[in-house]
Amino acid sequence: MRVLNDTIQWQGDSVVVTATRSERKLSNLTVPVTIINAKAIQQTGSIRLTDILKEQPGLTMTSGFGAGVQLQGLNPDYTIILINGEPLVGRTAGVLDLNRVALGNVKKIEIVKGPSSSLYGSEAMAGVINIITDQSTQVPIQVSARYGTYQTKDMSVDHALNSKHLFYQGFYNYYNTDGFSIRPNSSSRVTTPITRYTTNQQFKYLLNESTNILLGVRYTNEQIQNDISVSNGGVTIHSNGTENMHDYNVTASLNHRFSNSLKTSFRSYLTQYDSKQDLLTLSGQPYIDLLNHLFQRIENQTDWIVQKNITAIFGAGSVMEGVKSSRYDSEQLRKTNSIHYAFTQWEWLPNAKTTLIGGARFDENATFASAFSPKLSLLYKINANHKLKLSIGQGFKAPDFRQLYLDFTNAAAGGYSVFGSAQAQQVINELNGIGQIGVLYDNFYQLKKLQPEYSTGIHIAWDIEPNATTFLSLQLFRNDIKNLIEVQQVGAYTTGAQIFSYLNIGRAFTTGAEFEFKKQINNQFSINGGYQLVITGDKDQIAQIKAGTVYTRDASGNSRRLTMSDYVGLPNNSRHKAQLKFNYITKNGLFANLRFLYRSKWAVNNTNGNQVFDNGDSFANGYVSIHSSFGKNFNNGWGFQLGCDNISNYIDASNLPNLPGRTFFITMKYQLNHKK
Amino acid sequence: MLTFIKKITLVTIVSVSMIACTKNESSVVAPLTANVVKDLAADTVLGIASNGMPYSAGKYTFYSLENNAIVPNTDSATTKWDVAFVSTKILINGGTSGTGMGGAFVYTGLFDDLKTIPTDSVFKTDNAPASYAITYGSGKGWYTYDQATSLVTPLAGRVLVIRTASGKYAKIEIINYYKGGVTLPVTASDADKLSKQRYYTFRYIFQPNGTKTF
Repeated sequence: MRVLNDTIQWQGDSVVVTATRSERKLSNLTVPVTIINAKAIQQTGSIRLTDILKEQPGLTMTSGFGAGVQLQGLNPDYTIILINGEPLVGRTAGVLDLNRVALGNVKKIEIVKGPSSSLYGSEAMAGVINIITDQSTQVPIQVSARYGTYQTKDMSVDHALNSKHLFYQGFYNYYNTDGFSIRPNSSSRVTTPITRYTTNQQFKYLLNESTNILLGVRYTNEQIQNDISVSNGGVTIHSNGTENMHDYNVTASLNHRFSNSLKTSFRSYLTQYDSKQDLLTLSGQPYIDLLNHLFQRIENQTDWIVQKNITAIFGAGSVMEGVKSSRYDSEQLRKTNSIHYAFTQWEWLPNAKTTLIGGARFDENATFASAFSPKLSLLYKINANHKLKLSIGQGFKAPDFRQLYLDFTNAAAGGYSVFGSAQAQQVINELNGIGQIGVLYDNFYQLKKLQPEYSTGIHIAWDIEPNATTFLSLQLFRNDIKNLIEVQQVGAYTTGAQIFSYLNIGRAFTTGAEFEFKKQINNQFSINGGYQLVITGDKDQIAQIKAGTVYTRDASGNSRRLTMSDYVGLPNNSRHKAQLKFNYITKNGLFANLRFLYRSKWAVNNTNGNQVFDNGDSFANGYVSIHSSFGKNFNNGWGFQLGCDNISNYIDASNLPNLPGRTFFITMKYQLNHKK
Repeated sequence: MLTFIKKITLVTIVSVSMIACTKNESSVVAPLTANVVKDLAADTVLGIASNGMPYSAGKYTFYSLENNAIVPNTDSATTKWDVAFVSTKILINGGTSGTGMGGAFVYTGLFDDLKTIPTDSVFKTDNAPASYAITYGSGKGWYTYDQATSLVTPLAGRVLVIRTASGKYAKIEIINYYKGGVTLPVTASDADKLSKQRYYTFRYIFQPNGTKTF
């Protein structure tokens, strides 16, 4: 039907699994989904997950504690990252470093925006990013090698074997970079030399026509040479050492189809994230930071076609989770939590134009309050060219281990302490008993068992396909978040050093609009792009501003009342983002692209001390980065690619430590038994 | 119509008050204007010791609000000074800090809006080292200190309400803590952040007639 080439961004009518936990055509989905296919990953020259996500509409990379992803204005904590449907764990300060994920054998990435806790539980509050690995066994062997600026080396091997009943797919990746130092003595991890190994092994065994067993093992090791500086009161302490991280993911599933209308899947998953920071300060003091996160899950999902136009999904599972950390009271003692959950989803097609999906999930939590997450979504095909999607759902994020059990005193930076809420009162009372506490604030007495954070999201999308070569989409969204867990100072030591803990205090919102377009100019050329507007705000701060109790300074330095026109919302949020991409691809395997990415200014620091981010604070400048690559895949299986990232050499050392200046790369690959 | 009546009323009031002024010249008080003190050094950093910590002379800068002048350290035991500054700590001449009648509290609001000190205000006195009339510490009194940037920022909307050594009243707004009256950029060097801090720029109004109205 469609005469389009399979270009870099064109999604075609792909099959999506993340939106409904079952295979659905993109054109029949009730919620907006972005798909990044393997071709887009390859043609942009992306090798780590961060490389490709930073080019996606509505996504922003953040740079504290590794590279996290901000989705529709919500922090990295609120987006769940899945590999083949199973969550990655091992977050530092809520951030999962997406540089951990090698893209070598990724078939596609699905991004669902909006609360999806009704299917995925905690963390799926802003959305879901699901990385789906290539499980096809058509290519027996594929090798690729890449070399780039800062002696960045990346090598991948994919190989596959299959017999009548057994399919095997293996992937190996080696990555090494000398790092870059746009900011000498930076505390940023990316500026340091890094070596990473990743392997992914997948087996599929067909017991019979209707039953199969899948087994998957993924392992990533990361080694970082560290050179950290911590600055406090003008005194800088240098330290050096290593960080070593291991990430294991093991999945096993048994899938059985009883009939054309009933199938079931038992899945078990075990993952462990283990990191050790072993530093030696220049004064000779060792500094060791350990984190070990273990996550085990068993789950069943049953899909039932009730009748021709009604499909139901039932699922239930259990999670055992535990964290050991040197930032807790004892690094030997694993803090644990268990979750039991059940979910269901019903899909009803009352007529050819309408799809209605309702779902809900209940999470019973051993350590925190239970959570209920409903979601309702609707697709209405107005006519062949217009589609309307509407969804409303509630998402949640359970308090994490850090917010409950952190027991951290930073000797390097002024001796301040952060205590998790589960034990803050006890620990501080003990300190008070030995006369170390100078002052306790009112909120210390309000510390109690943490509740999950909740978000209610509404998404509206209008997709227009005026003709076979044009696609337009307009989306509007609003997320209202309550119960936000925030760090607050609850007191101080007699030395004046601050003491912090976590409280369910915040209320916030993010709202905005996204516009996307794709245009196939001719058989070779296509253009696509997008613009996103995100407005955020802290509701309590807005109430204070309106009440006239927030102050700032005028040009002469005298205080004045802050007005709403001064208010900029949540920090690290750009109000405007845009992408524009030009793609060229020919039938004989030649491809080239030029991509422009824009992000407007964002607030980074509350420099005027009024607790509210406003025009009187410090901002990172907005910027455009330009990326390009071209290459050719030959019929004999060989291929090459040349690329340049950040062509205009934009650098902002303090606010964008993950963005090196201009870099180049060259990739060679060979594929045996290539298809063509 | 209503507006017209309002105007008339206003004109009447203004005329009456003008007449009142002309009748009784002696009660006319010149409006108090704010004094601005710039770059008052408060125990500035002299260098960095071998242990990596900054050091200073450890001397207070004493100030008389009544005379708008620095008071020599030799007069520290007198009632000649009203407030004293040492880095971010501000002392009042009273309590454990001095022989005067000094007291103070931190008022949240705008300097110009504070026309009369509320009658239910409680003036605290220094009780070193446990507590100070002007609460000491980041976020507690008149400033915040940002661990990440090592910068001290006076909080906007804070007025230091002072009872002076002689028992009269004044109000102070601290405007800046850095030399030249401009907070350094986040990216300034550590050396600059040390050497240019502890220079107070503030504005104040001293009420010489002993009332609590400015």
